[in-house]
Amino acid sequence: MPYRLELTGITKRFPGVLANDNVTFAVKPGEIHALLGENGAGKSTLVKMIYGIMQPDAGEIRWDGQPVVVPNPKAARKLGIGMVFQHFSLFDALTVLENIALGMDAKIPSRELEARIREIMGRYGLLLDPHRTVATLSVGERQRIEIVRALLLDPKLLIMDEPTSVLTPQEVEQLFDVLRKLAAQGCSILYISHKLHEIKALCDTATILRGGKLVDTCDPRQETSRSLAEKMIGAGLKDIVRGEGRTLGLPKLVVSRLSTVKTGHFDVPVDNVSFTVRAGEIFGIAGVAGNGQNALLDAMSGEVRGGDKDAITLDGFPLGLLDTTGRRKRGLCAVPEERNGHAAVGDFTLSDNSVLTARDRLGMVMMGLISSGAARTYTGKVIADFAVKALGPGSTAGSLSGGNLQKYIMGREILQKPSVLVVSQPTWGVDAGAAAAIHQALVDLAAAGSAIVVISQDLDELRALCDTLAVINMGRLSPARPTEEMSVEEIGLLMGGVHGATEVHDAVPA
Amino acid sequence: MQFRLEKRREPSKVMVYATPVAAVVLTMVVGAIIFSLIGYDGVGAVREIFLTPLTNSFKWQDLGVKAAPLIIIGVGLSISYRANVWNIGAEGQYIIGGLAATWVALATHGMTGWWILPTMFVAGMLGGAAYASIPALLKTRLNVNEILTSLMLTYASVQLIYYLVRAPWKDPMGMGFPQTRIFSEAARLPTLIPGTIVHLGVPIAIVVALIAWFIMSRSVFGYRMRVVGAAPHAARYGGFSENKTIWLALLVSGGLAGMAGMLEVAGPFQRMVPGFPTNYGFTAIIVAFLGRLNPLGVIFAGIVMAITFVGGEVAQTTIGLSSSATGVFQAMMLFFLLAGDILIRYRIKRVVPAAEVRA
Repeated sequence: MPYRLELTGITKRFPGVLANDNVTFAVKPGEIHALLGENGAGKSTLVKMIYGIMQPDAGEIRWDGQPVVVPNPKAARKLGIGMVFQHFSLFDALTVLENIALGMDAKIPSRELEARIREIMGRYGLLLDPHRTVATLSVGERQRIEIVRALLLDPKLLIMDEPTSVLTPQEVEQLFDVLRKLAAQGCSILYISHKLHEIKALCDTATILRGGKLVDTCDPRQETSRSLAEKMIGAGLKDIVRGEGRTLGLPKLVVSRLSTVKTGHFDVPVDNVSFTVRAGEIFGIAGVAGNGQNALLDAMSGEVRGGDKDAITLDGFPLGLLDTTGRRKRGLCAVPEERNGHAAVGDFTLSDNSVLTARDRLGMVMMGLISSGAARTYTGKVIADFAVKALGPGSTAGSLSGGNLQKYIMGREILQKPSVLVVSQPTWGVDAGAAAAIHQALVDLAAAGSAIVVISQDLDELRALCDTLAVINMGRLSPARPTEEMSVEEIGLLMGGVHGATEVHDAVPA
Repeated sequence: MQFRLEKRREPSKVMVYATPVAAVVLTMVVGAIIFSLIGYDGVGAVREIFLTPLTNSFKWQDLGVKAAPLIIIGVGLSISYRANVWNIGAEGQYIIGGLAATWVALATHGMTGWWILPTMFVAGMLGGAAYASIPALLKTRLNVNEILTSLMLTYASVQLIYYLVRAPWKDPMGMGFPQTRIFSEAARLPTLIPGTIVHLGVPIAIVVALIAWFIMSRSVFGYRMRVVGAAPHAARYGGFSENKTIWLALLVSGGLAGMAGMLEVAGPFQRMVPGFPTNYGFTAIIVAFLGRLNPLGVIFAGIVMAITFVGGEVAQTTIGLSSSATGVFQAMMLFFLLAGDILIRYRIKRVVPAAEVRA
């Protein structure tokens, strides 16, 4: 039987980067094939060429044994290639059915379309009400829309780009069931991820990319997570090093009855949130995206201020009414989730980006004038201490890769030695090497006596990093408990909250 | 055949500075062609408009006097536009600045003293800033678009001149002409170079641009303007409130427009007349963009625009070109500049119709 998809010597060059260098691998019919690699390893570029978004500079793509040229995604869909992107293209204000109808290449009467959607959902156990408005759906449910959209075309190859990064553990299991059913019926699946245990649980074959080159094609079930990770990053993996006999100090950050006002139509505000973080403690806040994390971070950083001065206190000093600058001077620093355009300005140099948050704590301003020398020196220190791959303080933030920019941003805040650091998604889209470095830096900062709050959707990260965990759902925070006392299932149920998969039809709109 | 714009990975640094020059050159070339086609001596027109003001040393003083208000207003606008605050009403702020200075001059009529001109100077800036604070208030309180309010207020200010020079401020000895009396000696800007019309406003314009350049590149204020314009979300994260930035941008650009109004009324005009609004405030928008929103660039851009003004007058007398030809040339310059700016950031790509899949 010929391979479903065969890539031979695929090469793609961008100005200054060789994104894919002579990549060769093949996918069998009905196979779940993992494409594994760090950020920037060339996975996305490769997949974009298969789906016709980009064209290879060299090499051959064969489909069912025949050489093909895929000029655009429409042609890819015609061949039978479906793709579910990491970022969904859905209109919040429209229903599931309307969204699917909008994305179709061919016009189908909506009653007929609905019947086909229901048929597919029934066949694969995808729970979804076609008449629900997208805004009221959880991320997992939104992903199901994208999957249904792809399945409507009867694909022979389904490409899934980092599908589990925003799902609860229960949703991940449901997704895997669907993918296994699909594979059993002969549909090949190209599964892109950097989560090793998922790949071990799901995939038959794994192709590992590093720096644009193919490192290995192997059977992930024969490998350990560690050996896969080492192939992926090409070096021995470092574990988080914790100091011996660590004890937590006095309460440092106390948040009590913090609430925010709903601003946008689909915005989830924070509702009566209270928690305490002690000196030396890393406090984790788990939750599915869109459950009030952004509002919580803005309220903590001071970008959005409430009217209660005691809602946030640091060492007993009320911060509730202070703006971002005032809070930073008091020792509370924050790092939002969005790197480019929020935590950093892409068009500015790294030096200028240091001025953005470090100018007051590090004395970069004298009589209204910025000391560019001080900014440059500090930026140089951040680059050196956090191993940021940049030409120097004069490089623009936008020229850095996501992982490097995140290392710079984390370094910029951590080297200010804040007494409280609030970070959202510290390693989102960051490669394993950089993530390990960031985790170690957070642990070290806590060891030095700071209180740290980590807001993340990555449970592995939170469980490895945090002393205490709480779960945010619909803007409300569950009671905090020591990490080792909470099982993954328990956290998953709390994350699901009213959005639990079995109660889809009873869900209350936000 | 279809075309589409595709974003470039990184805009070329060289092109950012080459575009204004290219825009001027293209304006000259296309201008020559257009005016030739409609029956004028196109090449001659371009020569008279762009070269005569430079080659004829008698015209240099005119250049300086025309460029000064354009540079002062253009510097203010370049600061405001950096922060994405679109003050389009500099003309109105210029007028109110001129009126405020006139009020001081009329109130002190007949008096002498060194303090009168500085008082007029301050009054002019305060007047312009106060007028710009109306759009600022509406924008920050009610989220009203500052482009509309600042522009519409310009027309209100023109009516205010008409009213003042026809009734309360009318020159009693003016034989009914709608204008104020001529200012006293102490309220007129001294001529710098005897025998010319070059007044104190010319060096002031250069100094204003230099100070603004220093502030924009070195101070927290300049940083604030740049970061709010480049990434408003990051600015908020960095502790720069958006409303405060809107206020600062409008007050500074309004104040500078008001300063230009004071210098014009105390310099070339020496009295308030209905013809005081000369579109400097609008032309300065082109100056700000032609100067790449950089105060030093604005100096050169102001001179280029002054050349077209002076040259336009020359062309009127020598080859009988209508005065609106100047406007045509200025508009072409802005057009080529903006088009060039797009091409710096995007490239034009031909869209190939989707080929059939070869399978």
